[in-house]
Amino acid sequence: MTKVQLNAVRKQFGAFVAIENIDLDIESGELVALLGPSGCGKTTTLRMIAGLERPSAGAILFDGKDVSEQPVQDRNVGMVFQRYALFPHMTVEKNVTFGLSVRGTPREEIGARLEEILDVVQLTQFRHRFPAQLSGGQMQRVAIARTLITKPSVLMMDEPLANLDTKLRGEMRRFIRDLQQRFGITTIFVTHDQVEAMELADRVAVIFNGHLAQYDAPAKLYQQPASLDVADFMGASNIVPGRMKSDDLVETAIGEIRVAPRAGFETGKDVQVMLRGEAVDLLTDPPAQGGVAGRVVARDFFGASVNYSVDCGTHQITVSEQARRLVDVGTSVRLNIDPERVWLL
Amino acid sequence: MSVSSPPAPSARLTARERRTRFWQMVQLMPIMAILVLLFGGALVLAILQSLGFAPWFGVNTFPDFSYFGALWGSSTFWASLGLTLYYATVSTVLALILGILLALALVKTFPSKTFYKYLYKLPLMIPYTVGIALAVLMLSNGGMLSRLAAFFGMIDDPSQFPQILKTHYGWGIIAVYVWKQTPFITLAVYAVLLGIGRETEEAAAILGASRRTIFFRVTLPQILPGVVSSTLICFAFNVGAFEAPFILGGGFPDTLPVVAWRYFNDADYTLQLQGMATVVSIGLVAGVILFGYLAAYRRYERRMGRN
Ligand SMILES: Nc1ncnc2c1ncn2[C@@H]1O[C@H](COP(=O)(O)OP(=O)(O)OP(=O)(O)O)[C@@H](O)[C@H]1O
Ligand SMILES: [Mg+2]
Repeated sequence: MTKVQLNAVRKQFGAFVAIENIDLDIESGELVALLGPSGCGKTTTLRMIAGLERPSAGAILFDGKDVSEQPVQDRNVGMVFQRYALFPHMTVEKNVTFGLSVRGTPREEIGARLEEILDVVQLTQFRHRFPAQLSGGQMQRVAIARTLITKPSVLMMDEPLANLDTKLRGEMRRFIRDLQQRFGITTIFVTHDQVEAMELADRVAVIFNGHLAQYDAPAKLYQQPASLDVADFMGASNIVPGRMKSDDLVETAIGEIRVAPRAGFETGKDVQVMLRGEAVDLLTDPPAQGGVAGRVVARDFFGASVNYSVDCGTHQITVSEQARRLVDVGTSVRLNIDPERVWLL
Repeated sequence: MSVSSPPAPSARLTARERRTRFWQMVQLMPIMAILVLLFGGALVLAILQSLGFAPWFGVNTFPDFSYFGALWGSSTFWASLGLTLYYATVSTVLALILGILLALALVKTFPSKTFYKYLYKLPLMIPYTVGIALAVLMLSNGGMLSRLAAFFGMIDDPSQFPQILKTHYGWGIIAVYVWKQTPFITLAVYAVLLGIGRETEEAAAILGASRRTIFFRVTLPQILPGVVSSTLICFAFNVGAFEAPFILGGGFPDTLPVVAWRYFNDADYTLQLQGMATVVSIGLVAGVILFGYLAAYRRYERRMGRN
């Protein structure tokens, strides 16, 4: 519906720079997650897009038009606040219809749209309750319904799942994804949970200290992070320093690792080698050579999957696989690594 | 859809519950005793006296409704009551409006906010009598304002300055009350505003509400507890206050507290009983109004699902 662009947007609070020159293009109908540690500027970015905060420099464009000077009321955006911000003195019904009633929508239309949205969020039976009489998940659905009923062209959600338990979280994720696809709304979603970001988003913008560190699809972000910081934040555990011996071979402390040649990584360059745990094969019946030799020192069993810590000399490598078999602690193993799935930093 | 209600708790208390209740009562005893003796005792005495029981003055015609009869039968009583309520209501409403505006301004960020936060509380620390003296200094004919007006040539002579004090419009009384009570209401409303935060207002703005709509439909309903409690206190004080209408008022007919004071100060001490009837009347009127106000507010709260 609406394409959102941030051009060199910067935000200062007094002398403190909260956002430093962020460029971000969000396609129409796309679901983008803003991901980053606490205090990195996610909420501030959202508030600027909503119009609650004015950028100190740069421009925010909706469908190519600068909205930096446009007041909040005229932007037709929707925002679900982290703590929902429901009106405590209004029933579910009044909360949900507030946006339409202040816009002067005719009464019959309000009624019809109310029924429709209450049905979508499954709150029909709670319509006469006050927020204080609802559970966290119900409040959140009220907050979402209150926003969606106004048919915003851009939907923003500030950590809407932060306060929910694991099960409800999963349900709400699917629910949000469903709604977003059904209405095709450009959606920006704040989270500091990388799993949530990867599960929900078409693209993820990783922000560190007010800088945009990487903006990519979840798979790319996970397998091919642009920097050590991003790799670290995305939960990469196996990072080993090394030096390029040739353009497809890295000499590391745990042995030689074959990699796919990549521009910018020439012979003699110092690199960091990132191995994703699920991209490493654990061979218990080891061939005499090839791969990296090691010994299993710990096993973490998760039911469906299992993680092994493999001691390879100077480093421990975590390997995860499906729990079709269990390898005992102490077993000597070899790690077989697909060159295509090794990532160099 | 109806939800089946949980089984009603049985009316009979278990032994354990009874014991807990008993200990609660015991713990409450000291404070209850003080409350009953101090407030209840004084109230009972006042009512007895207004009904003709005052053996210490050699009067005992209890129960005797003639004091109330005489009081309520005279038109000046009703004029006094009207004046009392007029001063109390107008000044409470004005202080409320100013207090809300000030509190709304204080939640915004602006330069040297800390200084203003101290400044507005100043009248809270200055006694009423000083405020009254200030009003005389500033607002009377021959006061600062009249002299300034004369100095700048708006009037020829300070005595031509419009009469502010000592009229039944009571601008002086209202000015003192408003000056003293605006900070109080600001304080109460400001605290509530800080508690509710800015998020609901922001949410309303994003949903398309204008600033006016946001205030009346989102902010005001949420600050209502602060508004009700602070205006209740101010109104109750204004109905019973004596110094300001005594010094700054327009004379006969006086407000009820001044009327009571005149009775109490009369050389004829049997008029004390008439004074008591006046005091009890003030209490009755204030009580009925405040009770009605609270009851209306409670009904509103309950409608909102608060208990
Ligand atoms: N109104 C403000 N005045 C001053 N500093 C602010 C203000 N709002 C935010 N900041 C600062 O800007 C930085 C970014 O804040 P922001 O709320 O955007 O973080 P966030 O990424 O949403 O963090 P979290 O995950 O904890 O919610 C923080 O260091 C914060 O202290
Ligand atoms: Mg935040």
